[in-house]
Amino acid sequence: MLEVEHLTKRFGGLTAVADVSFAIAQGEIVAVFGPNGSGKTTLLSMIAGVLAPTAGMIRYRGTSLVGLPPNRVVALGIAKTFQNPQLFEELTVVEHLRIAGHLMLKRRLGWRRLLTLFGGATDGERTVDARADRVVALCRLDRARDTIAADLSYGQEKMLGVAMALMCEPELLLLDEPASGLGHGEVTELERVLRDLRDQGTTLCIIDHQVKFLGRLADRAISLQHGAKIADGPPQDVLSRPEVIAAYLGASHAADTAA
Amino acid sequence: MTRPRLLTVAAIAVAVMLPLVVKSDLTLTILVFSFLLAMLAVSFNLIFGFTGQLSMFHAAAYGIGAYATHIGMRDLGLAFWPAVGFAMALVTVLSAIIGTICFRFRLKAFYFAVVTLAFAEMARLVAANWHGVTNGTLGLTLTAKPSIGWPGHAIAIDNTLAWYYLSLTALAMTIVVCSRCVHSWMGRCFVAIRLNDALGDALGIDIFRYKLLSFCIANAIAAIAGALYAHFLGYVDPSFLSVDQSLAIVAMVLLGGKGRVAAPVVGAIFLTLLPHLIHFNAEVRAIIYGSILILVILLLPKGIVGTAAEWSRRRHA
Repeated sequence: MLEVEHLTKRFGGLTAVADVSFAIAQGEIVAVFGPNGSGKTTLLSMIAGVLAPTAGMIRYRGTSLVGLPPNRVVALGIAKTFQNPQLFEELTVVEHLRIAGHLMLKRRLGWRRLLTLFGGATDGERTVDARADRVVALCRLDRARDTIAADLSYGQEKMLGVAMALMCEPELLLLDEPASGLGHGEVTELERVLRDLRDQGTTLCIIDHQVKFLGRLADRAISLQHGAKIADGPPQDVLSRPEVIAAYLGASHAADTAA
Repeated sequence: MTRPRLLTVAAIAVAVMLPLVVKSDLTLTILVFSFLLAMLAVSFNLIFGFTGQLSMFHAAAYGIGAYATHIGMRDLGLAFWPAVGFAMALVTVLSAIIGTICFRFRLKAFYFAVVTLAFAEMARLVAANWHGVTNGTLGLTLTAKPSIGWPGHAIAIDNTLAWYYLSLTALAMTIVVCSRCVHSWMGRCFVAIRLNDALGDALGIDIFRYKLLSFCIANAIAAIAGALYAHFLGYVDPSFLSVDQSLAIVAMVLLGGKGRVAAPVVGAIFLTLLPHLIHFNAEVRAIIYGSILILVILLLPKGIVGTAAEWSRRRHA
């Protein structure tokens, strides 16, 4: 579904992502691990079109994503959530979802969107509202439906980020540290939402620090260190490899575990 | 019917009935000017209040609209309304070019304001120096009057009362058009751009396209307002395109409130009436006018309409 080949990103002298290649198949939950500064966020940002790669190739269903702006990438079916929740401060949850329904409306109505300006083609807005209701229920945001973004809890803000991405009807959802900063209960809730999503056929690529959370959820794990891929395989395998443990906890800990 | 809508309908009803009570030609004249400036302010609110881009080109679009309508009639032999259409088309093309330059370079906030101001000044200097076409700083006397209807059954707009209803209709149509845009997917894109354009982009909104759309629609309406204003006044000169004019439009929107489509109407009427209500020498009047403006903007950050709405909501809560 998604192929990344020899992807590299340099910021001046710093190489944030170095020659990373991997592929994601439809229906998978892929986790990308790595300590702070290992290039995880940079990698996702390049796929989503936020950053342009220095070298390498990103292909989605045969189409190259390199050079496309974020709005075109998401229109192709790849949505991304933000590490720090990005919201429209003064709008309510449901208003966020209506804005996020932009692509849906565009796909459903095409040029008929012009008719809505004259009071026609009301079916489009109804479809968006119906999906917003489903997404609100799926993301457990029912009670916050009409709350403005500025009054949401941190966990709700993060969930709203996921909800907005879902309004884009993604086939591949990229999640940038969805669990960071969440309480234990909220992580469990998030895990449930992500499993529901997978069951509905959405492919997920998640980056996070929370090894336990990812280990439970993912079908496959990729580990990064200093921008390079050091492991790729089933999560339990990847997590028990000495080089991964070393990258996370330091070399001495890896030696202890091996001994 | 919602309260704001009820109020709008009531305001329109009052405006329609007003000439039955008010017979003074001067009062009606001032109201015609307020309605046409209100049209300018309402359209400016589309790009400024909703899309969040401080355009300094709005007065230029208004002035170019006035000149181009006259030129369309004089040099192209068009009738009044087709000439207005020509002016709108010209302003839309210019806006598309200027907007493309500004938005491709991702100019925001003050950078956008400064660059659009430079384009506006460029247009003003062209108007002031292209003597053969614009008669320079002396301006042009405009004698053409529009008419409504079709050949053989046309009503000439040649008295203040007729202008009153024409400008009121134009203002009402502007409010309807802007309101339809704002309360649609298009308006949601505008708001997304103002509040968080990076998020809007990530949600599939083509930021460039919707900024440009907002800029072009706002300027095209300004062109109509300019055409009507100049032909009611019977005169156009380069000051139509001045920075002063741009700032007056900003003041009208801030005064009325930027959160609602029709709120700038209140600001426009207030600012147009105010100088006529202060019976002092010109200097004192300017000071009082300025002080009132500053006070209102300082004390009512949401504008007259925004503050009134909040006050009434709190009372009913």
